[in-house]
Amino acid sequence: MPGFDRYLKDVLDRAGQEARLDGSTTVEAHHLLLAIAADPASSAGGALASAGLGRAAIREALDREYAHSLSMVGVSASAFDAAAATPDPDRRPHPGASVRLTLERALQATAGTQPQPLHLLVAILQADVGTVPRALALAGVDRTDLVARIQTMTGPAKH
Amino acid sequence: MSDVVVPQDPGDALAAVAALRRLADQLEDAAVEQAMRAGWGWPKVAEALGVTRQAVHKKHFKRLVAAGVTLRRR
Repeated sequence: MPGFDRYLKDVLDRAGQEARLDGSTTVEAHHLLLAIAADPASSAGGALASAGLGRAAIREALDREYAHSLSMVGVSASAFDAAAATPDPDRRPHPGASVRLTLERALQATAGTQPQPLHLLVAILQADVGTVPRALALAGVDRTDLVARIQTMTGPAKH
Repeated sequence: MSDVVVPQDPGDALAAVAALRRLADQLEDAAVEQAMRAGWGWPKVAEALGVTRQAVHKKHFKRLVAAGVTLRRR
């Protein structure tokens, strides 16, 4: 299996576990981001770690975004904490719309050539709307600056 | 419904919809489990949720079996 395909499969598997922990039926872009951050030894995970965005920091930012978005319509997320359901160990969340868009962006950015893990990370961070940009904004992350810094690390795409 | 507050920023309003869907999913998982542990049957749970018995069974049966919940058929 070529390098990026193997990396993508591993990240999608880990993202699926993150989605299951969330009780989500779909894998979304923020699950990909958590999965990438959970592997700081990889180029993409290392880039996040160097920006202070380890898995725990991203999880915290996502939780804040969730509570903040609910509060916009007067709902308190913490009011429901007591009622946790037993997760389904066999649930296989499938890729949702935000993951599809992320992969499309990564492939477009590399013009059909083999992307690198950093291209996947950039594609996640380039979403202007949705959970990821909102969570990062609430965490005080300058997303434009972060993307620019990561793009300087990406070499030319491999065929 | 005149007291429903729609956030001024469309991004906030749309994010609230996504968050509410997630909350509703989590609450459904918890509430169905709670009801089945309390001895409710599938038809009653389905009627209370306003969905078909097949839908609620398909969505929750395997999870509740794995969770060790004793399930009533009716």
